[in-house]
Amino acid sequence: MKEIGIRSIVDGKVKSTAVVSPISISFLEGVDPETGIIMDQENPLFGTSIADKVFVFPEGKGSTVGSYVIYGLQVNGVAPTAFVVNNAEPIIVAGAILANITLVDQPSEDIFSFIKTGDSIIIDTSKSIIKIGKKE
Amino acid sequence: MFLTKYQERMLNGEMGEAISKSFELIVKLGDLNDADKLIPIKNAQIAGVSYYTVGESIFSFLELFSKDKIKVKVPSWLNPAGMDTVKWKEMGISEDFAEKQNRIIKYYMDMGIELTLTCTPYLIGYEPSFGENLSWSESSAVSVANGYYGARTNREGAPLALASAVIGLTANYGLHMNENRMPKVIIDVQTEIKHFSDYSALGYWYGKNFKGLIPYFKGLKESSVDQIKMLAAAMAASGSVAHFHIENQTPESKLVDLGYIEENFEFLVEDKKSVYSIFQQTKEQADLVAIGCPHTSVDDLKKISSIVGDKTLRKGTDFWIFSSKKELETPGSKSIINQLENKGIRIFTDTCMVVSPTIRDNYENIITNSTKAAFYLTRKGQNKVNLQSLEEISMEVFE
Repeated sequence: MKEIGIRSIVDGKVKSTAVVSPISISFLEGVDPETGIIMDQENPLFGTSIADKVFVFPEGKGSTVGSYVIYGLQVNGVAPTAFVVNNAEPIIVAGAILANITLVDQPSEDIFSFIKTGDSIIIDTSKSIIKIGKKE
Repeated sequence: MFLTKYQERMLNGEMGEAISKSFELIVKLGDLNDADKLIPIKNAQIAGVSYYTVGESIFSFLELFSKDKIKVKVPSWLNPAGMDTVKWKEMGISEDFAEKQNRIIKYYMDMGIELTLTCTPYLIGYEPSFGENLSWSESSAVSVANGYYGARTNREGAPLALASAVIGLTANYGLHMNENRMPKVIIDVQTEIKHFSDYSALGYWYGKNFKGLIPYFKGLKESSVDQIKMLAAAMAASGSVAHFHIENQTPESKLVDLGYIEENFEFLVEDKKSVYSIFQQTKEQADLVAIGCPHTSVDDLKKISSIVGDKTLRKGTDFWIFSSKKELETPGSKSIINQLENKGIRIFTDTCMVVSPTIRDNYENIITNSTKAAFYLTRKGQNKVNLQSLEEISMEVFE
């Protein structure tokens, strides 16, 4: 498994499967809070669920109301188990705090050059690392 | 960051989940921005009201505050909703939408938040004072508060402004600090800025070209708050600009250090024309004129009334103006409102063309004098928009 340093914003220990978006995410209108399914037609992940996955994307964008969508995902039981982003901006930070979803950012390497949807991923914020295992 | 013993206890949940989450939001974002401490705020202006923009998710969030019976700690008021709370049927709003919108408003009311439902609180008696700290979230109001009044607020996201209102505090970073309020770009305005739409065009051009940077405008004549709000709203929409200075006018313009300037630019007549040409999208007859982004003042209404004179609105074009209930209660405004309504103009309050669904759903070709409205109405290709001055609009749609 490949080990990468990160900064922790919302702490947690998580083991799950990665869902990787190559483009920035607007949670408002971009993710369905009822189902956790990506609704943005311009995203190659269109139709994919982020429920119980580690959701990896470059950064958040769009309306600040996106934080409420993240909270809504948790209330509806379809939240991801963690977020891994390049730079955590206030929409994602506020949403992750409200929903108590593990959030890490500033990976020590360009993770988008090798991480793929379906890879296994372990996050341990107490050690400030994530581990990525390739899909078999 | 430094927290008092009391603040630490709140953060750790002594007063329940809603207070604890509110502290956590403010403290964590403060830490990420290297804030040294929490500072008291005078008041809060809270976005995230329109059901059209917030959707279903808002209910679970507001329930978090409702179950702990949370009241705001400082005077707080609301951004526009998705409909006129009285005349919503006349706007073409459905029963289902109205029911959900009213539920959202009730949650905020129960928290002790005043139902101003406006993006221009400074027009209705809530002018900020120089140097005071605020947590405002409507992007145009943030810019007016910082630039025109010299108050201090970051561009707060909707959850952050609400959290600040609940604890009466924000973290000390960003535009709360002197050094972050200095201008980075000088813009020498070399063309006439006369109409509201000209101010809006200047703001749109600036925001688009200098995203996030604080400007120092030279060559702008003394401007009214109604003119400034058009400039500020446009810069915020096109470029997330949250603060500005105007030479010899805005309160910090004499205090700022021009040593931070990185770029000098001129705003020329062709730059102004370029913005008008971006928003010349249709040759078909407009089915709607939409004015009031940001919300109109009674002074604006008087101006519209005098421009239109005794002409009447042509058939096939609706004319909607958006304002706030409190502004329309200004003494002496009744006769102006009657004059405008007699010409076929509709005046709605509590909402606007950007946050209400009916404009996008029911109209296609729209004329406005606001680049912010034009920007949002055309962003997903829903509407075709022409940008015109009130004078041009009057000539075109009144006979």
